[in-house]
Amino acid sequence: MGLDGLVNAYTITALDGVAHGLLLFVIAAGLTLIVGVAGVFSMAHGTLYLAGAYLAWHLADGGFTGLTLALAAAVAVGALGGAGLAAAVRPLTDRPLDQVLATLGVAYIAADQFSTVFGAEPRSVDPPQAVAGSVSLGAFQYPVYRLGFIAVAAVLAVALFWLVERSRTGAVVRAVVADAGMAAAIGLRTGIVRTGVLVGGGVLAVTAGVLGAPVIGPAPGADTTILVYSLIVCVVGGLGSIRGALLAALGVGQTLTLGVALAPGAAAFVLAAAMLAALTLRQRTTLPGRPA
Amino acid sequence: MTTTLTPSPGAATTPTPNSRRRSIPVWLPAVAGAVALAGAVGLPWLVNGYVISLAATGLVMAVLAMSAQVLVGLAGLPPLGQAAYLAVGAYTAATIATVTSLGPIQLLAATAGGAVAAAVTGLLAVRARGTTFLMVTFGLGELVHAAANAWAPGGSEGVHTPPVIALPGLPAMVRPGWVYLYVLACTLLIGVAVALLVRSRFALLLRGIAAHEPRVQATGHHPGRLLLAAYVLAGGIAGAAGALSIAVTRYVSPADAAMGISALALAAALIGSGSMTGACAGAILLVAARDWAGGLLAGHGTTLLGLCFLLLAYLPRHRLADLTCRFPWRRP
Repeated sequence: MGLDGLVNAYTITALDGVAHGLLLFVIAAGLTLIVGVAGVFSMAHGTLYLAGAYLAWHLADGGFTGLTLALAAAVAVGALGGAGLAAAVRPLTDRPLDQVLATLGVAYIAADQFSTVFGAEPRSVDPPQAVAGSVSLGAFQYPVYRLGFIAVAAVLAVALFWLVERSRTGAVVRAVVADAGMAAAIGLRTGIVRTGVLVGGGVLAVTAGVLGAPVIGPAPGADTTILVYSLIVCVVGGLGSIRGALLAALGVGQTLTLGVALAPGAAAFVLAAAMLAALTLRQRTTLPGRPA
Repeated sequence: MTTTLTPSPGAATTPTPNSRRRSIPVWLPAVAGAVALAGAVGLPWLVNGYVISLAATGLVMAVLAMSAQVLVGLAGLPPLGQAAYLAVGAYTAATIATVTSLGPIQLLAATAGGAVAAAVTGLLAVRARGTTFLMVTFGLGELVHAAANAWAPGGSEGVHTPPVIALPGLPAMVRPGWVYLYVLACTLLIGVAVALLVRSRFALLLRGIAAHEPRVQATGHHPGRLLLAAYVLAGGIAGAAGALSIAVTRYVSPADAAMGISALALAAALIGSGSMTGACAGAILLVAARDWAGGLLAGHGTTLLGLCFLLLAYLPRHRLADLTCRFPWRRP
């Protein structure tokens, strides 16, 4: 009994769900802070993930050197991309629709360039050979890379959680989320916090792209898919809330894997229902007197 | 009797306080409209089949842009998922097409389909405002996209439909010129309906909600119900666009619900900045940039569209919108 009783087709799928959920969390945590702190709904967030995934594909050499190079490049690309987006939306402060249009324009141009440079067909990224095999969990084989990915993503998630919820930097960020005007009035430099969050979110998204490329690979359209799921995570978890994003991401990850295995085709409805429930409940608690 | 070509000094019209700004003559829009209509009707005799089919696509997107404009221009809620209702309408029309090829029936069924889909999903969407509304409609649109891939007839391959018959007794429309004229007639019909809607009391209430929702609520109206009604209307218009899209391409696939279509409709509505005519012009402009100019640039229409979006974001649109508000036929 013990481990063997626990391992069946559903728990293996649920493990996949954890991998998807943690990947989504690392991406969506950046987006939720960007929306919460800077008020920018960045349509180019999925593009950053796709950039990371293509980086991983381009630099993959079957060993850890390629992965390390790709990660280093990811930090640079993410920081540059985030800073570029911050500079792009700075003239558009208080014009959220124009921010959406501008970031959407960037996403369109980038998507076209990606398919020109890397081709229009989906690319599969192999993990480094040392972790390419699979281990047996009971009667099932499970890829080593995916287990390692879960561990790394969990560490990232914990670090992010600590940074935002427990550290002094995080306190500043949360203060700007809660009330930007008051934060500015007590001397916090909200402009720097905004840029910093966009840069940090960019680095997280591109890094997630490099690490997650063997899970959700680079392909035209993957940017939209990632954007939609991280957006659902943001709406369900509450804008600017890391804790909510973690729970929502794990839930969405399970819906996309275990949910699809249990009730094929129902995933879209479960996600829509989750958004409805989140919006309804949040409206009740935070906006009393607001008409339904 | 002598015709007075120049008004006598005593009868000289003194400018009213409202028209103290330099404004264009009243007859100009009517003449411009007539010229545009004549040009639109005469187009099949002027250009080749490829441009005509692009023009028909532009008209379909113009209808979708009007649907987006009902929400963003009147109610102040930017939708980024209108393509979902276009796809629902197109699939409804494709299903009806297995029974009858009669275009008007497909159009009505698609309108009803889009409206029903919007009524169901609108319950969720109208709870949000501003950017959250945009995010929620975007999410809903993509979920419909995913559901169409999984459940719709034909799966991701899509469904082919027979050519549409405009009126009973007429032959099926195969040549692009006739299809274009049918789509033009339907677009004008929808345009008239939308023009009536824009001038209604309901539209005034929607504008009131966009300007100051609590005040509309304080006067005893239900903003939630009004917005849901607007959302259903917009869904119906988008569904009608779906039926027209079937008439043009004779094909529907889940790609019709893609985010790119919704984004194009929203951008066109924003180009129009509140005006329905402007939204239609914007849609035709964007389709021309994406398909026609993009075709000339070796298929980089997406990049061109992205540049259009960037341009639209950074141009001082609000000042331009101010300018159109000074036109004499537009009430403030």
